[in-house]
Amino acid sequence: MARVLNFIDAITEALDQELGRDERVFILGEDIGLSGGVFKATHGLLDKYGEDRVLDTPLAEGIIIAAAIGSSMMGLRPVPEIQFTDFITPAMDQIVQQAAKIHYRTAGAFSCPITVRICCGGGVSGGLYHSQENAAWFVHEPGLKVVMPSTPYDAKGMLVAAIRDSSPVLFFEHKKLYRTIKGEVPEGDYTVPIGPAAVRREGKDLTIISYGFMVHVALEAAETMAQRGIEAEVIDLRTLSPIDKETILKSVRKTNKVLIVHEDKKTMGIGAEIAAIITEEAFDDLDGPVVRVTAPDIPAIPFSPPLEKYWLVNPEKVVTAIERLAAY
Amino acid sequence: MATKTTPAEAQPTTSGKPAYSRELLLGLYKMLVKCRMCDEKARILFRQSKFAGNFYSNVGQEAGEVGAAYTLREDDWVAPSHRDWTSNIIKGVPLKFCFAQLYAKATSPDKGRSSPAHMGYAPLHIITPASSIAGQLNVGTGVALGIKKLGQDSVVVCFFGDGATSIGGFHEALNFAAVHRLPVVYLCQNNLWAESVPLRLQTALTNLSDRAKAYGFPGVSVDGNDILAVYEAATAAIERARAGEGPTLIEAKTYRWYGHSEIDPAKYRSKEEVEAWKKQCPVLRFEKFLTDKKILNDDLKKKVASDITAEIDEAVEFAEASPYPKPEDAADFVWS
Repeated sequence: MARVLNFIDAITEALDQELGRDERVFILGEDIGLSGGVFKATHGLLDKYGEDRVLDTPLAEGIIIAAAIGSSMMGLRPVPEIQFTDFITPAMDQIVQQAAKIHYRTAGAFSCPITVRICCGGGVSGGLYHSQENAAWFVHEPGLKVVMPSTPYDAKGMLVAAIRDSSPVLFFEHKKLYRTIKGEVPEGDYTVPIGPAAVRREGKDLTIISYGFMVHVALEAAETMAQRGIEAEVIDLRTLSPIDKETILKSVRKTNKVLIVHEDKKTMGIGAEIAAIITEEAFDDLDGPVVRVTAPDIPAIPFSPPLEKYWLVNPEKVVTAIERLAAY
Repeated sequence: MATKTTPAEAQPTTSGKPAYSRELLLGLYKMLVKCRMCDEKARILFRQSKFAGNFYSNVGQEAGEVGAAYTLREDDWVAPSHRDWTSNIIKGVPLKFCFAQLYAKATSPDKGRSSPAHMGYAPLHIITPASSIAGQLNVGTGVALGIKKLGQDSVVVCFFGDGATSIGGFHEALNFAAVHRLPVVYLCQNNLWAESVPLRLQTALTNLSDRAKAYGFPGVSVDGNDILAVYEAATAAIERARAGEGPTLIEAKTYRWYGHSEIDPAKYRSKEEVEAWKKQCPVLRFEKFLTDKKILNDDLKKKVASDITAEIDEAVEFAEASPYPKPEDAADFVWS
């Protein structure tokens, strides 16, 4: 029986093993050293590797990312942490204008192999500024790879792959996964490639496309519907950019019905892009509309529990959408 | 209404330091003239529609560029702003590449990707800039962190203007460099105008180098049209950085002769202000200094100019003869 870890412990192990394997790797961010991270993702690493490799930084996201970018151009492999994605905005200039474009604007003369770990996601009473899920902002920027794993196995394997990737990677970690999702994680060195999606559940009646914590919501809804004789296929995108069109289209051609589930807001979200891809490339295979279950177009997740519940996607909302779609 | 700013009294180069060799002084002079001539040539080419986009002249500010970059080693780094294309020339980028970059030809180091304002060259450690203000200070500071982590003894010089000192990224970069005593020199070319915004609306400070006090490292303001004053301050700062003693902020007080770009007639400035500063021309001042020292004479001046003209002509010819990139090349280098 393989070893079972929490999602967050898989993250810590990936960082630990990469720091141990490659001297070019270092991690930096707010509260990652002495405190071991607000969620303890970097717990114990300062003691083990020292301040040169595990660097507590000033509370200034712009220079956290810029320090990573500049040193990555020297051949180092920095892994900066953005404590909450709600705080990523001060670093937008560095991420979008520098990291995403350095390789392109220098015709490959410089590259920017950074892995930005970003904690995101709602459902933990975090309120407006500790709950956001805004990965879609970055999917709009070619040059950035954007990933969001949903299992401990992928968390470790994809973080290792990201650190070894020569493009800048934004590695989103949904905070609700940290200690609620456990799974088998090999002790040794392995990678899960950035790019391919995973089919988490086979089904013939419709396809649910999701990522991050929402994969688990989709799976729960799929089990409910299975009891009523409707078999949903569940695709975990894992990588949001570049997106795995092949796996999406293959499933659409099999089930002919598509439901997209994401925690982020609806308008211009990742679901909109997936719907467009499907209508452009598999229109004739569709038996019904591409349906989205997402957060509403409201500025941020409100704090009061009933308000937060209104915002969040849950299995019931997904079941309702499946019922509607299955009727086609 | 235009703001009138009186430049410091016109003086020949004030440095009394005797240590400069004739070779160094002439080297600085030739580079100063080369930057001036390349820049004026680029302005003409732009006005002749030889290249597209825009051009951000460095004329008037050459002493700051040459004074700071001339002393750098090949493995040292430069993080230029949009106005510092001449830092490429000083660092040793072949002129043909600089002009191919202006022309956005396939032979330019970035294969026609960046605009004329954004020139860089990886083999000589010049970081191609982006347009966002002070971005290069932050990336340059990151490079300095990398240098320190790798145990190298190279340094980074970040060039920027007075306008860049107002944005948050300036503070983040200088503060971080101070905390880690990074090998970086921040060289502010204070030309009194951030595009059309006068310094009095940019800052309440008289000397921008005062900002260094807030970070706990040295700051010095120098006459930015006095090449030896800049050279001295920059050399000291670079030595300090190389010795692991941390950053320095240098303010070179200077003036941008032309508009923010070639499409800006700069009518917000008075003619008197511009003329007063032109009398402080860094090239003429250094020529007078060298002539007084009997290092320079008319024959040598002519030879320097004709050598540079020949070099520029060759570079322009290369740029004009070079092909444009193929349209579909636009999709290359998205991922590394």
